[in-house]
Amino acid sequence: MDSLKNHFVLPGQVLATSHSETQGGFLRGHGTYIELVPHDQHDNDDDPRDNAGGSSSLGGMAGTSKKRGWGNSSDQSNVVMRSEHDGGGDNDDDDDGSKQSGEGEDAAALLRVGPQRLIASVAGTVQRVNKLISVIPSAPAVYTGQVGDLIVGRIIGVGGSRWRVSLTCSPPSSGSSSSSSSMREGQLPLSGVNLPGGVQRIRTSEDVLAMRSLYREGDLLTCEVQNVQKDGTLILHTRSLRYGKLENGVLTTVPPSLVGRRKNHFVTIKGVISSEETNGDKHHDDSVMDVDDGEESGNVDVYLGLNGGIWIQRTIPPQWENSLHGSLDQDSRAPLAETLQKLRQRHANTRVSASAREGIARVRNAIDCLRLVHCQITPESIEIVVKTSLREGVRVKDMLRPEFIVKITEATRSR
Amino acid sequence: MTSLRRTDILSLIHLRSDGRRPNEIRHMSCHLGALPPTTDCGSALPTSGCSGSALVSMGLTQVLCVVRGPCDVGRRSEELPDRATLEVTMRTTPFSPPGDRRVTNPSTDRRLIEQSHLLQTALSASILLHLFPKSKISVAVMVLADDGGRLEASINAATLALMDAGIPLKDMVCACSAGRWNAGGSDEIVVDLNRREIQAATGSAGGGGGAPGGGGTSDTIYLPVATMPQRGTVVLAQCESRLSGGAEAFGEVLEVAMKGCQMVMEIMAAAVRERGAGLWKAKEGKADVILVD
Repeated sequence: MDSLKNHFVLPGQVLATSHSETQGGFLRGHGTYIELVPHDQHDNDDDPRDNAGGSSSLGGMAGTSKKRGWGNSSDQSNVVMRSEHDGGGDNDDDDDGSKQSGEGEDAAALLRVGPQRLIASVAGTVQRVNKLISVIPSAPAVYTGQVGDLIVGRIIGVGGSRWRVSLTCSPPSSGSSSSSSSMREGQLPLSGVNLPGGVQRIRTSEDVLAMRSLYREGDLLTCEVQNVQKDGTLILHTRSLRYGKLENGVLTTVPPSLVGRRKNHFVTIKGVISSEETNGDKHHDDSVMDVDDGEESGNVDVYLGLNGGIWIQRTIPPQWENSLHGSLDQDSRAPLAETLQKLRQRHANTRVSASAREGIARVRNAIDCLRLVHCQITPESIEIVVKTSLREGVRVKDMLRPEFIVKITEATRSR
Repeated sequence: MTSLRRTDILSLIHLRSDGRRPNEIRHMSCHLGALPPTTDCGSALPTSGCSGSALVSMGLTQVLCVVRGPCDVGRRSEELPDRATLEVTMRTTPFSPPGDRRVTNPSTDRRLIEQSHLLQTALSASILLHLFPKSKISVAVMVLADDGGRLEASINAATLALMDAGIPLKDMVCACSAGRWNAGGSDEIVVDLNRREIQAATGSAGGGGGAPGGGGTSDTIYLPVATMPQRGTVVLAQCESRLSGGAEAFGEVLEVAMKGCQMVMEIMAAAVRERGAGLWKAKEGKADVILVD
């Protein structure tokens, strides 16, 4: 069974053939399609796609010379198939068949009895779980969502009692742009957010009018995929205290295929911020923001969005939470929602110290390095690159120079 | 028709004007992901929203193809309820004028419009459009240099760009041309014609299919063909020449062209495998360093 694993296939390559329901069956996964194995040649010229671009009077000629290419390539794909398939029903003796009979996933075609075969439709590696065979493309540019995925997105539209969320984190386009895409856009319905104060009630028209006070165009947020509609549209929600607006940090985007699904997408990279000069920034506190009280954990939080958006901010120091509890001690059982909201507020309004900024920038550049060498982005790989860059004494601004990229990502390749 | 003395001499030792044998295709190189996929859909940059790209050169003909989508259809009227709209645009660069024809406006050039239609027909035979209802896949082809056979190069580039974008295809569409003309008193059937040979075969200097008739002799043929080589289906065969030799002559040329498509497919498959394996290895941390972008 493992012989199928990591086998690279191309579109049109036959993965498996089954003669009937009982023998050598398979289930169609992503990146594949099913069609009937051609068995006779009398319907050679039925296919309207044949000679589609050619002059119509020459249709007959094209039919006669079809056999050649088919024979060759079928032999080729049989080699792959025989070695990979453990079932007994996968011999395809129809090498002389020269014509396909119908659409790949046409329901009517599948209802007809006859040997079927599974063909890859994208270029990628084969993955197999029992009978389910799918092909995983090597670097899909478009993110396809699954329920429960963490998304780091950007609000690009408000209206119709829902927010439109760009999954590519691209800024809201000015004017009418035709290239906004449903594949790259999710929808956050008003019923999918927590109302301020955490009250639970039916949304009213006032709430619709006040939607911009929650999220307005251009805001970044984390959310989760609640549902994937039949046409691929993602319905999002933020009905958990972990999700919400993102402020006071850095966004970077990577190809979605580099962020794998994992148990926890809110990760902490430890020991990034050097603590020596934490207090150096304390003197010019003339801005509206509060100044950090110098108590920093030295850690940086990274939110790994599965759509390829990655958010980086400093970790909220534990002291803040304690002090918050201190001030609320008359009602120490204050709802968790309020506490977290206050923490978030404080994080958003507190200036990030220079050393923390450098730490965040270092993590951001580390992620960019990983993207440039096309390495999977995990907390471990980020940490390796950050640590290596610190050990080698690479300055943050030098991290993206090619010679340093190669050097500081070296450890991720030798694993 | 130009009398090519050099060709005559070479044809005695069965070599063509550029030193190839009759059944040899031009040197072909494929570069997948020539442009980095940009996530930014909204901006007006030509590469914005690009989800896959490929640069293909067949001999001196060089073509860049960018695939966008699947994304929303701009206008509701263009939306199809059961499948995706396939939009194909083909353009030339100002520095690749089509031969001796005067430079025309690339957005109104009829030959370009015709060829983008042909390209669309060839591609829609392969793309599983029904998987993306109500959306649009747009394929933009830019001809960077034209030494004959830009339609074939465009089809190959479009296939590779679609594979790079991860759009499901029924099969790879590979294109190659074949031709037949009278050189040095004997008939020659050759594969993958360059501009000079197309001129000899059609008597004109068309970038892709030449103008019909012209000064060509009676049984000269220039035939661009696109096939799905793994199943042996012809998706495009365009012949604008007069066929005095009858259907048999056409069949012979088509056979040769299909062999050429098979060769093209092998080169394309190797390029895709190389890139796919490289990316996979890099992701698993097993490869030597590759730098994307």
